[in-house]
Amino acid sequence: MLKLKKVTKVFNKGTINENVVLRDINLDINDGDFVSIIGSNGAGKSTLLNVIAGVFPVDDGSIILDDQDITRLPEYERAKFIGRVFQDPMMGTAPSMTIEENLSMACCRTITRGLRWGLNEKNRKEFKIKLAELGLGLENRMNTKVELLSGGQRQAITLLIATMVKPKLLLLDEHTAALDPSTVRLINDLTEEIVLQKGITTLMITHNMEYAIKMGNRLIMMDRGQVVLDIKGADKALLTVDELVNMFENAANKKFDDDRIMLGLRN
Amino acid sequence: MNLLFTSIEQGLVFGIMAIGVYITFKVLDFPDLTVDGSFPLGAAVASIMIFNGGNPFLALILSAMAGMIAGYITGLLNTRAKISGLLAGILTMTALYSINLRVMGQANVTLLNTKTIFTYIEALGIPYRWGLILAFVIAAAVVKILLDSFLKTQIGFALRATGNNPDMARSLGVNTDAMKTLGLSMSNGLVALSGGLVAQYQGFADIGMGIGTVVAGLASVIIGEMIIGERSVGLATFSALLGSFIYRLSIGIALRLGFATTDLKLLTTVLVIIALSTPRIRSLLRIASS
Repeated sequence: MLKLKKVTKVFNKGTINENVVLRDINLDINDGDFVSIIGSNGAGKSTLLNVIAGVFPVDDGSIILDDQDITRLPEYERAKFIGRVFQDPMMGTAPSMTIEENLSMACCRTITRGLRWGLNEKNRKEFKIKLAELGLGLENRMNTKVELLSGGQRQAITLLIATMVKPKLLLLDEHTAALDPSTVRLINDLTEEIVLQKGITTLMITHNMEYAIKMGNRLIMMDRGQVVLDIKGADKALLTVDELVNMFENAANKKFDDDRIMLGLRN
Repeated sequence: MNLLFTSIEQGLVFGIMAIGVYITFKVLDFPDLTVDGSFPLGAAVASIMIFNGGNPFLALILSAMAGMIAGYITGLLNTRAKISGLLAGILTMTALYSINLRVMGQANVTLLNTKTIFTYIEALGIPYRWGLILAFVIAAAVVKILLDSFLKTQIGFALRATGNNPDMARSLGVNTDAMKTLGLSMSNGLVALSGGLVAQYQGFADIGMGIGTVVAGLASVIIGEMIIGERSVGLATFSALLGSFIYRLSIGIALRLGFATTDLKLLTTVLVIIALSTPRIRSLLRIASS
């Protein structure tokens, strides 16, 4: 359902700092796939999600979503099909708007906004139910400005906004990286619950190998702008962290030395 | 008593301009200097039309439309030509200086013995002074209520999110460039409407009347915010109006204390500097004392 054909992205093209961040990436994601993406810093993971979301244009290649070529669509138009949660908890919500106002922004991802009221009895009721399901007590604070919430609470709300109207594709860019361990578990559980329940095709970048193995049905490892490992189905289910490290070292032909992944191994 | 009346009148009529400044500075987080040009633009359009015997109410509508076009141009300069917001505003403002002179044909237009909206209101049998206040209360209230309502619609939320977190807005399908242009148009439309009303109120339009509009508008917004805060949109627009009244009252008092009219820009600037730097100074003092 999502196809990347020979996608290339170069930063600072033609300068001394030229950096090929994505090199001829070919990727075929199936409907309902929940893909975890791992790789060391600078491997091109975030850039991959950003070119899919349309944050910046590709230098070469094409991106096809459900048979529609979206390579040239601006970011805000791709938002009709794509839900996103960012690494920075500040990025996914509007801080000086209230919780319910933020949630109401979700409705119009897929439709053209008009002069109808942003909030009404019906959607307030719906938001209350959805917030209650999070189990964070936010359903009683719908008029609170989001700037008063913790990082974890904001990420939970961003996840809710991104998935309220089922997107064709959900992009999670290390959405738990800035959270403390117990909140990480909470947000990951929530992610799994929502993604599986709604059957959303999802790409999730993570630095935590355990979660990368545990969550989803497919695992992709990137290195220096290329996909070096792509493990699916039964192979993925049987994968261990040690095996994964070995596979990476063979595939990328180098030592596994990313500090953050090493830390991820231990917790 | 006269001081109070004058402050209420001016507070309301310039308050519409302050609400315009609130849209760009607070809602959109866009430092728009176009208003120094769109305020006299509104005054020029209204006064030249009235001077030539046109309908003063229609003149106000045209003022607002002219202002919206000015804001739209600043929006295009910023979003299409990618010129920084500050510079885009300065460019439009500077161009408007020439345009305003063209519109008026000379450096000022006097509205003595012409039919302004106040002539019509007086014809209803309302005393002149009360007619002024009535007209301004209605105008400011309509502007406030319409804007409050607009900011609660889906597009209004999109506008607020654009100013608050453009990344988030885009990721939820908001065309942030279009929203910026819309906000700038609305803001400058209100500022020009205020200019058109002020020209009729003071009985003349002058090429220099726009100097310092941004700072005066900002002063009003900040004073209002310090008193009321910005807990909700409705309170924020009300606080801009209240801030405008207090600002005009302080100006009136300063004049009574013997300051010259020409000193007012300096006083206003100092006021805004104090208001804007207070949080920073407070936090520095807190660090020093801990």
